[in-house]
Amino acid sequence: MNGRAQGDTEPPDDYLEAAIQRLLTEHNAIAEQGLTVTRRDHSLVVCGEVESAQRREEILRLVLERFPNLPVTVDIGLIRTEAPSTVEELR
Amino acid sequence: MIRIAAVGDVHMDRDVLGRFRPALEELPDRADVLLLAGDLTRHGTEEEARCVATEFGNLGVPVVAVLGNHDHHRDEVPQVIRALETAGIVVLEGTNLVLDCGGVRLGVAGAKGFGGGFAGRCASEFGEPEMKAFIRTTQAIADQLGEALREMDCDVRVALTHYAPVPDTLAGEPLEIYPFLGSYLLGQAIDSAPTELALHGHAHAGSERGSTPGGVRVRNVAHPVIKQAYSVFHLYPPYAGTGARVSAAGETGSS
Repeated sequence: MNGRAQGDTEPPDDYLEAAIQRLLTEHNAIAEQGLTVTRRDHSLVVCGEVESAQRREEILRLVLERFPNLPVTVDIGLIRTEAPSTVEELR
Repeated sequence: MIRIAAVGDVHMDRDVLGRFRPALEELPDRADVLLLAGDLTRHGTEEEARCVATEFGNLGVPVVAVLGNHDHHRDEVPQVIRALETAGIVVLEGTNLVLDCGGVRLGVAGAKGFGGGFAGRCASEFGEPEMKAFIRTTQAIADQLGEALREMDCDVRVALTHYAPVPDTLAGEPLEIYPFLGSYLLGQAIDSAPTELALHGHAHAGSERGSTPGGVRVRNVAHPVIKQAYSVFHLYPPYAGTGARVSAAGETGSS
C-alpha cells in the first residue's frame, strides 16, 4: 500500500478522506458537518444535502481548488422546503 | 388537541432567505406553535441570526427555539439571541415557557444539550480536566433541562433540545460519532418529568422516531431528516402532565 507512486491522480487514502471531511466542516465558506465522504475504487464521493444551490457550488469549487488532481464526485442535493403533506397523530 | 410544528438545523444565511417562507405562511392554519431545534445559523453570526429572524419571525404563531452548536461557533451568542428576540422568537437555554393553546397549557422546556454518548458507551467524569469538563457541561445542561421540565405548571410538557436524548433517532449516523451527537443524560432529564414529547435536531443522517427508556416519544426534526419545511405533531388528551399517565417519576440523580 505504501509502495504506491505519489502521482497526481493517486487514489484517495484515509488521510485525504479525513482532510476533506475537516475542510467541509472547518472552512468558513462551507461549515457543513452533515456531509459524508466515501472512497470508491478510484475516486472520492461527497454526499449529502444542503440548504442552497450556492452552497453546493461552493463545496465543489473549494474541494477542487484544494485538491485539484483528485477524482471527486459531488453528489449533493437540496433539502426540500415544502409544507408537510401529512401530520403525525400522537395518541 | 395541540398542534406542534417543528424543524431544526435550518442553517440560515442570506442564500437561504425565502426558501422556507411560503410553507411558514401556512402555519397559523396548521399549528399552535413552531419549535426550532437549534442550528438556526451557519456560523452563529449576528447577521445570520437576522436572517433567521426575517425567515422565522412574525409568523402569526409563537416561535420558540433553542440554539445549536453552529449558533455558538462565532461566540456571538448574546447578539444571536438578541436578533432572534427582536423578531419575537423566544430562546430557551435551560428555561421554559408556558403557552395557552385554546385553554390547554402547553409547557416547553428547552436546552441546547451536549454530547457524551449513551448508556454503556458514554464519557465519564474521570481523567483529564478536559474530559471532566466535557461531561460536566452535559450534566449541567441536563440538570437545567430536567428542572425546567419539572417546575412548569402546565397540562402538556414538551422538551426541546438540539442534541439527541436517545440513540434511537441517530440510526443512520456512524456509530463512532454517537458521543458527539447526544447524551443519555438528556433522556434521563426528560424522563424525570411527565413529558409528552421530546424534539431534537443535530443528527442530519439520523432517523425520525424513537423513545426514551421512560417511554417518552422522541422525534428528530433535523431538516435533512424530515425533508420538508417542518413537521407537525398532533397531541391528544389525556396528557401525561395532567396526571392521567406518569411516564417516569424518578429523580434525575447522579450517574
